[in-house]
Amino acid sequence: MVEASPPAVGERPREGAGRRRARVVLHVDMDAFFASVEVLDDPRLLGRPVVVGGTGPRGVVAACTYEARVFGVRSAMPMAEARRRCPEAVVLPGRYTRYAEVSGALHLRLGQVTPLVEGIGLDEAFLDVSGACRDTGDGRSLAEALRARIADDLGLACSVGVGRSKLVAKLASVAAKPTVQGAMVLPGPGVVAVEPEEEAGFLRPLPVRALWGVGPATGRRLERLGVRTVADLADLPQGTLERAVGPTAGRLLAGLARGEDQRPVVADRRAKSVGQEETFARDLVDPTVLHRRLVRLVDAATRSLRRAGYAARTVTVKVRFGDFTQVTRSRTLAEPADTPHVLGTVAAELLDEVATRRGVRLLGVSLSGFAGADRARQLRLSLGTGAAERVTVGTPPNAPEAWSAVAAAVDDIRTRFGDAAVVPATLAGSDGGGARRRGEAQWGPSGDGGAGRAEGRGA
Amino acid sequence: MALGGIHVSVVGNALTATGTDRDLTIAADTEVVGINDGAVVAPARLLVDVVRSLEPGAVTIESDDDLVEVTASRSHFNLRTFPLDEFPPLDEPSRPSTSLPAHALLDAIRQVVRAASTDDARPLLTGVLITSEGEGIRLVATDSYRLAFCDLPTSNPVLGAAHLLVPARALAELQRVPGISQLVERDEPVTPEGDVDGSPAREGTSGIGVSFGDHDLTFTAGPVRITTRLLDGTYPEYNQLIPPTYPNRLHVGKDSLLDALRRVRLLVRDNTTPVRLSMRQGGVDLTVVSQEIGDASETVDADFDGSDLTVAFNPAYLIDGVEAVPGDEVVVLTTDASKPATVRAAEEARFQYLLMPVRVS
Repeated sequence: MVEASPPAVGERPREGAGRRRARVVLHVDMDAFFASVEVLDDPRLLGRPVVVGGTGPRGVVAACTYEARVFGVRSAMPMAEARRRCPEAVVLPGRYTRYAEVSGALHLRLGQVTPLVEGIGLDEAFLDVSGACRDTGDGRSLAEALRARIADDLGLACSVGVGRSKLVAKLASVAAKPTVQGAMVLPGPGVVAVEPEEEAGFLRPLPVRALWGVGPATGRRLERLGVRTVADLADLPQGTLERAVGPTAGRLLAGLARGEDQRPVVADRRAKSVGQEETFARDLVDPTVLHRRLVRLVDAATRSLRRAGYAARTVTVKVRFGDFTQVTRSRTLAEPADTPHVLGTVAAELLDEVATRRGVRLLGVSLSGFAGADRARQLRLSLGTGAAERVTVGTPPNAPEAWSAVAAAVDDIRTRFGDAAVVPATLAGSDGGGARRRGEAQWGPSGDGGAGRAEGRGA
Repeated sequence: MALGGIHVSVVGNALTATGTDRDLTIAADTEVVGINDGAVVAPARLLVDVVRSLEPGAVTIESDDDLVEVTASRSHFNLRTFPLDEFPPLDEPSRPSTSLPAHALLDAIRQVVRAASTDDARPLLTGVLITSEGEGIRLVATDSYRLAFCDLPTSNPVLGAAHLLVPARALAELQRVPGISQLVERDEPVTPEGDVDGSPAREGTSGIGVSFGDHDLTFTAGPVRITTRLLDGTYPEYNQLIPPTYPNRLHVGKDSLLDALRRVRLLVRDNTTPVRLSMRQGGVDLTVVSQEIGDASETVDADFDGSDLTVAFNPAYLIDGVEAVPGDEVVVLTTDASKPATVRAAEEARFQYLLMPVRVS
C-alpha cells in the first residue's frame, strides 16, 4: 500500500510484452452518505452526532455521522440501542428522494470518468478505469481527481480504493475511510491505491472476514482451523481448506486470499426486481387491514415499476410473522403488467393463501420478471365500446388498457401535485395511510402510533 | 364421444364421410362401388390411419352394428364402431345458392384471415366478416391490433346483401381442402350472378359454392362441403377507423422489406419487442433493440414522401401485413407514431392492412 507514491505508471505493463495489462478498478464509497446529506442540507448539524434511520421502536440505523460513531453507534444497529448509546444524537427519519437526487448527481460525475460504472446502492460504485488509465494517467491520480471533484461539486466526502480487482478496490476504500479512535475522529487518507505487487502485503494482515464471501458461518469454521487473518488463510494447505468449507468455496477463498478476483465491473446493472415492504409497529392480524396495507405497497411498487419503464411478470408477496418466521408466495403471469389493478389482484390472491392469524410483523411485495426496458405497448384500434366489447364475457370495461390509462393519469397527477394527491380508494379512509412514498420508513416504522397511521400523511 | 367418430355413409355409388364438432362440419363425397347402402360411425383418427397405411389398391369396407371391417390385399382390420344414433343428426346437404370465384376468394381469405383474433374472450373478432362494399363483396378481419380487408373483384347480388360473420377457423379449413389448388386452376371467370341457377357446385364446376341461412353457412368446394355456425353479433364499425388521408407515404420493394424485417426479427425474444421504422428521404431504417440480447438494424432503399418520422410496430404483425400485400411493391402509409398505419399494394387498394403502432416511451 502506498499513499504517497509519485503519480507514476503503476498500472502500465512494466515487463513488456507477454504480461497482460492489469485491470484498474476504483471503488468509490461515500462517507456516512445519508447522514452527510442531512448535515449538508442543515449546517446546524455540523459536528453533531446525526443518526438516520427508522425512528420507531423497531427502527434500525441506516447511517450515522462519525461524531455518532464515537459513541459506538453503527449502521444496522437497532435505533433503540443507538439512542441509548448516544442520547444527544439527532435522529432523523431519512429522505430517500433527496438521497436519490444526490446519488444521481454523483453517478453523473462517475459516468464522466468511464461508462463502466457499477452502482451498488445509492452511495457506492465500482468503476473500471483500465481504459481511462491508458489515456489519462494512473488509477491513483484519477481517484484523487474524482474525489476532489465530488467534494467540490456535491460538498460531500468519499473514500476511494484503487486496485486491480473489485476485492482489492473495495478493501482499499475501507482503508481510506476516516477512523474513530477513542473519542477522536481521525481523517482517513481518502484515496488508497494498492499496486499489484503490493497486494500480498496489503491483504495479509486483514481479518479473514474482510474477504468477500466469508460470512459468520465460514468465519467460525476457519477460526477453528486457527485462521484469523488473510495471511493465515493464504498459508493454509488447500486440501485442509477444502475439507473445512467444501471444494468450491475452498478454491474460491484460496484465490481471494491471493487477491484473485475476476468479477467484472458490470456497467449499469439493471434492477432485477422492484419491491416495497413495511414493518408494522404492532403485529397485524386483521385480514382487512392487511389487505389495505397491501394495496398501499402495490401502489408504490407499481409506481416505481412504471417510473423505471418496466412491466413485470412475477408477483411475490412476503409475510414475516411476529416470531420472525417468514413465508413467500409468488405467481407468474402470462403477460407482463404494470398496473396496480392487475398486479394487485394477484398480490391479494397470494396474501389470501397465507394464514395470517399468528400476527404479521412485516408485509412485502416484489415485482420481477421484467419485460422490455423501453416499455413498449401495442396500441389498439378503437373498435369502440360497441358490440365487440359487449359480447365479450367478463373482461371489459375492466380491460387492462383501461387500467393502464388510469395508472398513467395517476402518475401525471402525482408528478404535478405530489404523491398524496391521488390514492387508491381503499386507502382514502382515515386509516389508509395514504400513498406510500419511495423509501419511506424502509428502516422500520417511525413514531409509535398505530400501524395504519404510522407514516402520517392521510390522503 | 361420437364426435371423435367419422360418419361414413354409402348411397348407391356415392360414399360420404362426415366429421363434426357441432360448430364446424366437414363432409366429403367420393365415388365407390357400392354394394349395399348403409352408414356407420367409426373412430375417425384410427380409420384414417388404417386406410392411409394400406398398400395401394382397392379397399373394402363392410360394417355391422358393432364393427367396421377394413380389408385390402392381405390386410384385415376390425374396428369397434360408435352408436350411429349418438352422432349429431346430419342435415340434407344444402344446395349452393350462389358461388364465388375460387381463386379470388381463397386469396382474400389468405390475406385477411391472419388478422382475425384467436382469443375466444372476444368471440366476434374470431370471425371474418363477409359483407358488401359498394357494388362488391368485402372480407374483413381484426383482432383490434390490426385490421385487414379485401374486396373481391366481383359483385354478387346474393352475398352482396348479406352480413355474414364466419368463424376464421372454418375459412382456414376451406383453405386446407385437399385438391383446392386444382379447383383454383380450373377457375374460370364467373358471371356476375354466379351460379344462381342453383345447380350444385360439384367437382368440375368452377368456383366455390356458398349457401347460408340465419345461423349457418356452407361452402362447397368440389366434393367437399364445409358447414359452419355463423357468429351472432354486430361487427364493430371499422370504416371510421381508416384515415381518409395520410401525410406520409413510404414506397418500398416488398421482398427487400420482408427480408430485412425477417433478419432484424431474429433479435426479438418476446412479443413486446418492437421494430422501429425510421422513414426519411430515400430509405427506411429498421431497428430492433432487445434487452440483454443485443440489437439489429438494417437500411432499405425506398421512396418517401412526408416528414421524417419513426414508428414502432410489432414485427410479426408488420410481416403478416406485408406478406399479404399482392404484387411486388408495398406502400406504408403513416400519420404519426401512435396513429394507425396502412400497408397496401402500390398500384391498387383492394387489400388494405391497418396496423396500430407500438408506443415506446
